[in-house]
Amino acid sequence: MITARDLRKEYGGFVAVEGSTFTVEEGEVFGIIGPNGAGKTTTLKMLAGLVEPTDGDVSVAGYDAGETEMRQRLGFLPEESPLYEEMTPLSYLHFFADLYDVPDGVADRRIHDTLERLDLDHRERPLGDMSKGMKRKVAIARSLINDPDVLIYDEPGSGLDPLTTNYIIDFTRELGEQGKTIVFSAHNLYHVESICDRVAIMNEGKIVAKGDLDELQAEHGRTEYHVYTTVDVPGSSRENGNYRRVVESMDAVDETRSAAQEAGGQVVDIRTEESSLEEVFLEVAESESAVERGSGARP
Amino acid sequence: MSGGPPRPRGGDTTTDDRSSRTGRLGDWSRTRAENVTRIARWEVTKNAGGVDRRTVIIAVLAVIGLGAMAPVAVSQGVSLDQGIYRVGVVPEDPYYDPVFLDPTFRVQNPSSAAVEAGKQEIRIVGPQVREYADTTKGRAAVDELRSSTMRYNDGIMGLEDNQSAAFPVVVNLSYVQRDATRVVAPGEQAIAVDSGEDEEAGGGDGAGGGGDGSSDDGSGDENGDGTAGDGSDAGGDGDSDVTQPEGGSNVGSSTIGARLTGGGTSGAPSDITPPFPFRSLVLAFVFVLPLNFVIQAYGSTILSERINRRGELLLVSPVSRGDIIVGKTLPYFAAAIGVATAITLVLRGSAISVLAIVPLAMLFLAATFLGAMFARSFKELTFVTVTITVSLTSYAFVPAIFTDVTPIALISPLTLVVRDLQGQAIGLGQFAFSTLPPTLTALTLFGLGAGLYREEDMFTQRPIPYKVLDALAGPITRRRSVALVTAVLLPFVLVAELVVVAFMYPLTQASIPFGVIVFAAFVGIALVEELAKSLHVYAGYAHSRFDDTLRTALVVGLFSGIGFFLAEKLTLIARLADLQEVEIGQAALGEQALLQTGVPLPILVVALLLAPLALHVVTASISALGARRGRRSYAVALVIAVAVHVAYNLTVVTALAQ
Repeated sequence: MITARDLRKEYGGFVAVEGSTFTVEEGEVFGIIGPNGAGKTTTLKMLAGLVEPTDGDVSVAGYDAGETEMRQRLGFLPEESPLYEEMTPLSYLHFFADLYDVPDGVADRRIHDTLERLDLDHRERPLGDMSKGMKRKVAIARSLINDPDVLIYDEPGSGLDPLTTNYIIDFTRELGEQGKTIVFSAHNLYHVESICDRVAIMNEGKIVAKGDLDELQAEHGRTEYHVYTTVDVPGSSRENGNYRRVVESMDAVDETRSAAQEAGGQVVDIRTEESSLEEVFLEVAESESAVERGSGARP
Repeated sequence: MSGGPPRPRGGDTTTDDRSSRTGRLGDWSRTRAENVTRIARWEVTKNAGGVDRRTVIIAVLAVIGLGAMAPVAVSQGVSLDQGIYRVGVVPEDPYYDPVFLDPTFRVQNPSSAAVEAGKQEIRIVGPQVREYADTTKGRAAVDELRSSTMRYNDGIMGLEDNQSAAFPVVVNLSYVQRDATRVVAPGEQAIAVDSGEDEEAGGGDGAGGGGDGSSDDGSGDENGDGTAGDGSDAGGDGDSDVTQPEGGSNVGSSTIGARLTGGGTSGAPSDITPPFPFRSLVLAFVFVLPLNFVIQAYGSTILSERINRRGELLLVSPVSRGDIIVGKTLPYFAAAIGVATAITLVLRGSAISVLAIVPLAMLFLAATFLGAMFARSFKELTFVTVTITVSLTSYAFVPAIFTDVTPIALISPLTLVVRDLQGQAIGLGQFAFSTLPPTLTALTLFGLGAGLYREEDMFTQRPIPYKVLDALAGPITRRRSVALVTAVLLPFVLVAELVVVAFMYPLTQASIPFGVIVFAAFVGIALVEELAKSLHVYAGYAHSRFDDTLRTALVVGLFSGIGFFLAEKLTLIARLADLQEVEIGQAALGEQALLQTGVPLPILVVALLLAPLALHVVTASISALGARRGRRSYAVALVIAVAVHVAYNLTVVTALAQ
């Protein structure tokens, strides 16, 4: 559904994005994570056709980014909610329905249904008088006004209270379950981990890792085995009447089992703990930084 | 040919292709129109929601008041001095009639006590001023009484049968239209000719009175005889204005008005003062004022799209940048033209007045659009709109005041409006001369602004000079683009050069040597042209559009010079402009003047084609070489280019003089 090939964006002498290549399948939820200034927003804007790549190609739903047909199939939610504050939610949404050439009857029904789902009241109140969370809901409703196949959401829960954030993340997950193709970025890696099928990690304008969570964990994360024994074995520590030893391979687990048996004890429990996305991200970011420091390629 | 694919043949196929193309064009046009209409409609709706009812009422009342003021002011003029002097005089006294007929005076019963109490300026008893207040106002009242009495006496004398006895020496002052109305290029048609209003107006700005009377051929069939033998006819309507102060001066019965329009056409030469074009001033003011209100609202709506990234969502919607810009501009353009139409109807003007306002409205809106794209905050927008208001109002308003004084006034479309409302003829060439430069300038400004109307430029907070460079660098995608940008900038050059010439015109009236004025004009024009040829080149280098080689700099200079040369030759502005009649215009635009001399063709080709081409290429290359090295080098190179340009122009003028 979405193909990005060798994307590069340069502002003056500053390279914001470099060599980004990825694809997003139809119905897939694709997350982009990275620290501030990593190039996430620029990448999303290039996908939406808002920013023209200095180099590389973007194709969305079979159309080049920026083409009218592509825009008809796209719902974009920027990081901020830039609304016309003198308008009401209803007039604002009707305005965009008009721009997307949605017939009046369809627009009425769609607006009503979406606002119901988003639990948004005060539909005749000026947007300028609304809370940030309500504005965000209106912005999300706007992104759905044309019933798009592809959604590009930049930090959908950014700057909102936890309750509203969770609501919006849940809503986004529902959209994914309905078959929408979604690309979204977030700082909160838990949210990404909870709804994304695949993830790309960006750092300093480059995609430094990508894949589904298992692949990322396999490549960049660690699996820890917590082996609980009845006797003290080398490297173990006392915990709740037993001894716990943390190892990182099955060979080490076997070795611990043998050691415990030799000492007259036994293994009573083995628990597996895998790296979270956050740990993977930190691992990748740190290793990238180490490489950069080592190569001295950047100031 | 044989190896190529078979071309479709047959009328049906061709017709299908054509109808298919027409269909696509139709679809495209329909989509554009629908998008523009949608955005325009929502622009109105959105803003209507933000304006309270009281503001709307005040705005409507202001417009109505302005509309009501215009005809009154035009027909009656200002009468600020009406009844300011109180004169005690009885009907039996000989001074009664002059005092009574002059609205400056208020007639009272003579009272010495009132004079002492400061409630009466003059007390007249019998045939003399018996007493007047020894104050500034009192002395001014006496002076005014003296002048009024003289005018009254002149009027009485004018009724005498023997005019030779009444006026042994007559100065017949006739204000003749400059050639502006006569000069219509061969084959052109006048758009409208209706001189009736001149006669009615009793001289208009002083142009109509007696205009017909002083025949061009100098035979004086009517006027000559009339002047010598029948003084009452001398000067036609203009004459009667003076002898009877309330008799139809275009500024009404005010004595200030009488002075403004020129005191008289007969009597002592010291009584004759040049006319002040009050009527033109009011007409120009009435038309240009609403534009300043419209651009305030327009600038705000454009900038508000940029504040907090509001416009981002429009940019990602399935409408083009052009649709957005046109849609957002259309309501304000319609408002400007609607107000102009209403004023035109009230003043009984023709469609020409409205058509002449179209480029002006476009220019105001385009400048505001670009300014709003440059401004980083509403505070900066205020500065920008004030600058636009002052500069464009000056450009439009000041020349229009002198509609009947100098053909240079035609640089402003408002001059067409004034002339139309005065019933004067307007040639197609004159119409084009007045409206094309602002139209092209407006389109260029919109184009530059549209170049910035994208995510990367709209929401950044760069200083205005950098934004200007961004706008200029935007269309430069390769070296060849430089020629196009240079050509597109030509409307600015035309307008700026005309303004330079217009600025020189007052200097010719002062005691400044003509050579100095010509030199100043040369420098001004050279600076304008060299900037137009090089500023975008500098912007291109600043945005790394070109590689840093000597060859590229020369190629870029070559393209810029060629672009300027071709665009300049296409316009042939001076021939349309009637500026050849102005001495400064002849000097400043000397190349075109060669056309009217008997110079041999080969020399003409060199002078008109090769030499200017070489000049533009050389100077543009000099600037490009400087621009390649950075800002300071560019400034130095620009000065050198201007110097070369001035030297060239001086050479042309010297050659022409010989």
